[in-house]
Amino acid sequence: MSENFIEVKDLHKSFRVKKESLEVLKGIDFTVQKGEIFGIVGFSGAGKSTLVRCINRLEEPDSGKILIDGRDVTALNKNELNTERRKIGMIFQQFNLFDSMTVRQNVLYPLKLTGMSNRDAEKKADEMLSLVGLSEKSNAYPGELSGGQKQRVGIARALANDPEVLLSDEATSALDPQTTLSVLDLIKEINKKLGLTVILITHELEVIRYACDRMAVMENGRLVETGTVKEIFETPKSETAANFINVFNKFRSE
Amino acid sequence: MSLYKYSFWDVLLHSFSAEVWAQVVPAIGETLYMVIVSSVFVLIFGIILGLVLVVTADDGLTPCSPIHNVLGVIINCFRSLPQVIIIIVMLPVARALIGKSYGSNACILSLIASCVPFFARLVESSLLELDKGKIEAAKAMGSGNARILFRIMVPESLPSLIRAFTNAVIIVISMTALAGSFGAGGIGYIAVTYGYTRYNHDLLFATIVVLIVMVQLIQMLGNGISYMILRKRHLI
Repeated sequence: MSENFIEVKDLHKSFRVKKESLEVLKGIDFTVQKGEIFGIVGFSGAGKSTLVRCINRLEEPDSGKILIDGRDVTALNKNELNTERRKIGMIFQQFNLFDSMTVRQNVLYPLKLTGMSNRDAEKKADEMLSLVGLSEKSNAYPGELSGGQKQRVGIARALANDPEVLLSDEATSALDPQTTLSVLDLIKEINKKLGLTVILITHELEVIRYACDRMAVMENGRLVETGTVKEIFETPKSETAANFINVFNKFRSE
Repeated sequence: MSLYKYSFWDVLLHSFSAEVWAQVVPAIGETLYMVIVSSVFVLIFGIILGLVLVVTADDGLTPCSPIHNVLGVIINCFRSLPQVIIIIVMLPVARALIGKSYGSNACILSLIASCVPFFARLVESSLLELDKGKIEAAKAMGSGNARILFRIMVPESLPSLIRAFTNAVIIVISMTALAGSFGAGGIGYIAVTYGYTRYNHDLLFATIVVLIVMVQLIQMLGNGISYMILRKRHLI
């Protein structure tokens, strides 16, 4: 468990807003070990989403390096990037399923990108749907599903190509607590079963506490604290972490 | 029958007579020919130009502002001209291209010149309404741009594209009637020549009925197809 599977080094990213440059990531460093669920928590606007989107280069970082299993993601050209992206699954807050396709076609979509034969792709898609417990919905359209079911399809789609990494960008933030729990259970189960490495971005501390092994606290473009979930919950060193845990405890006591 | 000699009701009743429709029916054929041929061109070129606009935009799949801006300006130029002026401008173009500046085929050229830019803008706005998250999800899975465009963006916006095309066809129909007064033939020609110049108001009424029915049918068809797709996807 000591292998640094994902390494992010001195990552910077600025956006240009009305000719002014707004620095969203101000030098981010962290490592994630193979097979762990790593949580990043922060208040809105802290830059967590930008950070996770840099990992598969939905956002282009300005400087810094991102290594996944030794491969430098930031150095890839367009074709190499597309190949690499097939090994990085991603799930979203708004699920982002394709409404024009059935559940099964949604899961088939990434499989077809790899040039897999139709029969193999269909077999794999059905396997994935049974893994997330939605076999009986395979011919339904996303419009018919509940939020939790949609996110399960999102997970099946993200994992169809057996990625090594799953990025979760606020994947449970649009779900009710009960559904959140079942989706997190699914992520945990898959993490164990497939040895998947997960980076989970959220503003909900209880999500991190329930699902993650290690965590980082982000504020204003910086990671202010990194450690095991237990450490940070028991002895938060940064003000932001203390603040978060304070809010968390307040909610639980009332 | 003129309204100057007969009562409104007599003229209206006579507008449904066999005598009137013997003249109107061939004109419907001409109008349908112009509308169908023009609509096919409008569909093809409008979609292509609309896609180019979206793809080359700053936040598009392959940003290319020179193409985007030049195309935008050209489209705006055509869009600034009222249909009458486009018809007049296209007369010499038609003469150069097909040898005569009157008749259905000459009219089709001006219909295309006017309606393609209009439909291209409608296609652009339909595609821009698409949730960016879906495009990102496709990118995150490692899709190439062509696949994102044709497997995601176009199918996902299909109901909206169909509505846009319905509007474009209705504009084509109305412009066909206008072009009729410039020698294009069809319903518009009947309305202007008989209804206006010769006070045959029964013929005028008949053309109005034809135009209203045509537009209603197109609108119902467009709405119907779009509704069926949304229904199938359980989005309404």
